Amino acid sequence: MRGIFNRCRGVLAALWVMLPAVAQASGEAAGNIVVVADTRRVTGVMHYFADLYNSDILMFAIWTVVLTVAMGCTLGFLMDFIMSRTGLDLKSRKIVEH
Amino acid sequence: MDASWLYMYMPIAGVDIFWPGLVLIGYSVGVIGGFFGMGGAWMVTPGLNILGFPMAFAIGTDIAHIAGKSMISTIRHSKFGNVDYKLGFVMVVGTMVGIECGAQLVMYLERIGRIGPVVRWVYVVFLLLIAVMVFSDYAKAVKKKKQGIADGEKGTEGFTWYKTLHKINIPPMMHFKASGIYCSAWLPMVVSFITGVLAGFLGIGGGLLRMPALIYFIGVPTHVAVGTDLFEVMISGLYGAFTYTLKGRIELVAVFVMLTGAAIGAQIGTVATKYAKGYGIRLAFGSAVLCCMISIILKQFKFQTSAAVLILGTIGIICIYIMVIMFRGAAQELREKKNREQVTVRV
Amino acid sequence: MKKATLAASLMVIAIAVGLMGSPVMAAEVSQGKCIQYDEATHKLTIEAYDTQFSKEFPYGQSTGATEIFDVSTAAIGIHPEPGDILRLAWVEKDSVRSGLKVMNVSKQDLRKK
Repeated sequence: MRGIFNRCRGVLAALWVMLPAVAQASGEAAGNIVVVADTRRVTGVMHYFADLYNSDILMFAIWTVVLTVAMGCTLGFLMDFIMSRTGLDLKSRKIVEH
Repeated sequence: MDASWLYMYMPIAGVDIFWPGLVLIGYSVGVIGGFFGMGGAWMVTPGLNILGFPMAFAIGTDIAHIAGKSMISTIRHSKFGNVDYKLGFVMVVGTMVGIECGAQLVMYLERIGRIGPVVRWVYVVFLLLIAVMVFSDYAKAVKKKKQGIADGEKGTEGFTWYKTLHKINIPPMMHFKASGIYCSAWLPMVVSFITGVLAGFLGIGGGLLRMPALIYFIGVPTHVAVGTDLFEVMISGLYGAFTYTLKGRIELVAVFVMLTGAAIGAQIGTVATKYAKGYGIRLAFGSAVLCCMISIILKQFKFQTSAAVLILGTIGIICIYIMVIMFRGAAQELREKKNREQVTVRV
Repeated sequence: MKKATLAASLMVIAIAVGLMGSPVMAAEVSQGKCIQYDEATHKLTIEAYDTQFSKEFPYGQSTGATEIFDVSTAAIGIHPEPGDILRLAWVEKDSVRSGLKVMNVSKQDLRKK
């Protein structure tokens, strides 16, 4: 019961801490932050992605999501395959979630 | 001695990063997250920031790696078990709007040049609360054990806040069949919005807050809450990755390095849960959270090296501890299996 | 379920191949010290630096050459002032170097954030 209470208090406390800092900060000069990847320092695939980042950010975002999903799926399958070969009984354990 | 080979250039963030630290963070978040079953993303944003990533990049990179990791856990479970899809989709709206608000807040803080300290202090409070929660749970468990009460089914007995909240009848009212609840659609939306803001702002999955909120505020049965939360983590990770990339605050190389480490680590962590006994390990977890918090404070006061040593050292030690549990347990299980087989052959 | 996963994997591969095939407008990158930024004509002049980074020269060393960019359509970060170290992503359009993004490296100094 107390655990839950603490969790909820967490959100409120976080917001509470954040607000004065934001209010205090808003008086300062604002400046846009633009990042340019230094493609002169990288080659190959890294160069391709750094270049994409500079020239077409939407494409870069789609790439990121697709690659992350693809990599997650690949690693998921691969790890399942490897773990099933160890001979350990993995079916009887309790399922632990996030 | 030339240590430059230990540093890897990150083309987008434009910083040289101590790559063994990156591998260790990815691997540890897998092991620790897999073992304790509570994400573990809370150590990634501070960890990346301490290694030298600008804060906005640390958050974006963290959230993208969550997207990848949630794919792995989805594959592992091969299906979403008990997901209330209707509830899930209603919550997606709130989650996505929330993540966007969190991300916009991050961008705003970056523009005014206050992002580092603000996010760090919010993290300090957040981690302190997790630590308090873990230690109080431990204390409760010890007390129960002393009194001889068996640890029963963790349930919602006596907790009926959701009954009051269900009385709110702002249309549209919805019936969520899989969870067996009837309430205003605004209730799950508000809950998911708040967790979304926090997830977008801190670069976490948000399960730590969403799970109890689903159970106690919305009244979802625990097993459905688990599946629905997993679904939300995946959506929030993917949307977070997309929006942070669009804002240009992501380091793809780091995402991949960490994802690979996390995939391997998560296997070891989850297998280790099979062999772990007792509540002692919870103390280790609580201490890890506290050490992580201290290292953020150190970073805030510009003690870069001590902060890096503390956070990497802590997660490294916990990782080794969990790995020892796993390998000992696995070796014993395989030995026993072999013995059984030999006995069967003889018979 | 396996079929669904397979279908999803195939779709991801298809999207990846599609993305690979799509033409990418390659942008060049220049870095150097801001000499002049004319807001009226949107002309930005920099003294170009090379990639010989060192402790004394964290942003590279001057090559002595000046480069002029048209930044009328570029996303510009913190306002460039003479003396600032800038990094530009640009493309050449009709023999004019057209800036896409202008980063104020020295003022942002991401490392401190």
